[in-house]
Amino acid sequence: MGNKQVIIEVGDGAAIPSPRDKGLFTAWRISFFGTLAIIAYLLLFRPDPYLDIIKFLPDGIVVTFQVTIASISLAIVLGLIAGLGRISRNRLFNLAASTYIEIVRGIPLLVQLFYIYFALGHLIRVPDMLAAIIAMGFCYGAYMGEVFRAGIKSIDEGQTEASLSLGFNRSQTMRYVVLPQAWRTILPPVGNEFIALLKDTSLVSILAVSDILRRGREFASESFQYFETYTMVALIYLLITLILSKLLSILEDRLSHYEQR
Amino acid sequence: MNNANPIISINNVQKYFGTFKALDDVSLSVDAGQKVVVLGPSGSGKSTLLRTINKLEGINSGSIVVDGQDINDPANDINRIREEVGMVFQSFNLFRHKSVLENLTLAPIKLKKEPKEQADRRCLELLEKVGMVEKAASYPVQLSGGQQQRVAIARALAMKPKIMLFDEPTSALDPEMIGEVLDVMVTLAREGMTMVVVTHEMGFAREVADKVVFMDEGRIVEIAEPNQFFDQPVHKRTKLFLEQIL
Ligand SMILES: Nc1ncnc2c1ncn2[C@@H]1O[C@H](COP(=O)(O)OP(=O)(O)OP(=O)(O)O)[C@@H](O)[C@H]1O
Ligand SMILES: [Mg+2]
Repeated sequence: MGNKQVIIEVGDGAAIPSPRDKGLFTAWRISFFGTLAIIAYLLLFRPDPYLDIIKFLPDGIVVTFQVTIASISLAIVLGLIAGLGRISRNRLFNLAASTYIEIVRGIPLLVQLFYIYFALGHLIRVPDMLAAIIAMGFCYGAYMGEVFRAGIKSIDEGQTEASLSLGFNRSQTMRYVVLPQAWRTILPPVGNEFIALLKDTSLVSILAVSDILRRGREFASESFQYFETYTMVALIYLLITLILSKLLSILEDRLSHYEQR
Repeated sequence: MNNANPIISINNVQKYFGTFKALDDVSLSVDAGQKVVVLGPSGSGKSTLLRTINKLEGINSGSIVVDGQDINDPANDINRIREEVGMVFQSFNLFRHKSVLENLTLAPIKLKKEPKEQADRRCLELLEKVGMVEKAASYPVQLSGGQQQRVAIARALAMKPKIMLFDEPTSALDPEMIGEVLDVMVTLAREGMTMVVVTHEMGFAREVADKVVFMDEGRIVEIAEPNQFFDQPVHKRTKLFLEQIL
């Protein structure tokens, strides 16, 4: 019993800064303020072309966020189903979930995107953005499924037994006892997946979705200022992921306080 | 000792874990209001037996009838039967994300649709009874082991069970906390609760038990009243066990 602290390590995605790292020169601070400084320098001292580039990007930022949030929502729903399937006693459900995860993990994301977009788009016409969201959500749902499974598994079996002994059935036990506790263990890796997904949405620029990268490509191909454009695109991505990872770290800190009160 | 309608009736139960026979032809009946203490060396099947009574473990053959219902008959809703059978675990297993009071009210509110105000009031009384009302708003991590176990007992009682099962409720506790938990159990016994208790607390067994069940290697070796059991054990194994622990 006592304070069982379970940490789920998921390799991909930006590292969330540790809330306990109180040093002045943390990796996060160096990257964040460095990025801000470079952007400020470029805009102030090289407004031509950087001001034009940055004015061109906001539409793309909005699209990137739209795709990210819609895809992660879909991925969380699919992930919850897949995760529950992977621990289910129902053989069919279990097998279906495992197969889904197996297949998705075996095919590169870019190939899946092409497949859902071009191959399926050939059969049923769906809007570009929707196809991109479905493809991203479908792929990340499988990774999310493993996160959910690990999170659920991390909850002590005694919690389930206590719940069953009171008269709750298995799904009530999941809903009232296991998932509310698993959520705290799951949040950090879900946050990591969120950031990883945000970066991977740059892949949808290939599918005629006007995200940050696609807007950048459009600008570069007209102005031929490839170096400058992609520098700015990279800095914007970096700034966004740094802000997000900081927000996640704050959230995580809040949750751990909650656990200790 | 056996009347016509025992509230728990365990008949010729066999239970395997893989090829390992954990319960071997076990039969036991418990009348309403009786207190049964189960003793035996580690690995003898005490927990397994207790856990078959509310079907946390299934059985391979035999039958278990609780309050008139065969619990392994698929026609009977095991979840409704479990509402009648409270269980207290060695490791407390309080819901870590819920306050003490919420631990008690969760099941009555969700399962019996008891109005929240009524459940709160009733469960505060239960907490009062186990001496934990001051900690109603605390979370399990903030409590000592003895306090957690008293809350766990109250949580089981909140469903108004007819039977209470205890699996070594004091074994995970520091010695100075054992008393406070046993006191609650003694009170419960005096009020007439039907109890099946796995424990190593011989004092409790002597004082409270109507009968003592001694298990070894998955079998019930001896069933006797406490005085008889402790002072004139019949079986060689029982004598050996008592010599080792007393
Ligand atoms: N889930 C399981 N899978 C396999 N074997 C098990 C399982 N549960 C219990 N056993 C085995 O069954 C036997 C009886 O276990 P049980 O927990 O009922 O013993 P016990 O009398 O409660 O012992 P203790 O005093 O140590 O709690 C042991 O040999 C144990 O290893
Ligand atoms: Mg045991």
